[in-house]
Amino acid sequence: MATNGDSPDTPAADTSRDPSGFLSEIIGAPVTVKLNSGIVYKGDLQSVDGYMNIALERCKEWANGKVVRSWGDAFVRGNNVSYISADNA
Amino acid sequence: MSLPSLPKFHNPLLPLELVDKCVGSQIWIIMNNHKEFVGKLIGFDDYVNMVLEDVREIDPVEGETRMSKILLNGNNICMMVPGGDGKWVDG
Repeated sequence: MATNGDSPDTPAADTSRDPSGFLSEIIGAPVTVKLNSGIVYKGDLQSVDGYMNIALERCKEWANGKVVRSWGDAFVRGNNVSYISADNA
Repeated sequence: MSLPSLPKFHNPLLPLELVDKCVGSQIWIIMNNHKEFVGKLIGFDDYVNMVLEDVREIDPVEGETRMSKILLNGNNICMMVPGGDGKWVDG
């Protein structure tokens, strides 16, 4: 941990429960991605990197419970992402 | 001259140690855009990105949304309250 390097119980030590463990669990699965602007994208999670940049397959934009736009593959720049939710977890 | 050493009992809990203590329990997160999240903390990383389970997203405009498991970007997290349930104090 950056601010707490020599603590005996560093929170990041347990990889099964931390963000990267969760992400590897849901690669390939249908997810909902919400941006800070409120826009919601649903699709299959192809990959994520350390910036939370996201590649989505069969990506659709949702608004008010309806699909408003539809794409094949889409890249979402990580700084816009509010959360990634697993649809069938 | 040397600095006075802190008394033995003075062992402050570091901020991220407080977050670590909350792993496995219910927390309340207040974002800097007036949104709030309530859920069980599963894990977090150095940026305080958080994995949450059985989540309620509370949006002052859109209302509540429930999700089973999410990765919340730590960038817009303002405050985290251990054991919080998102309820306001009456009056």
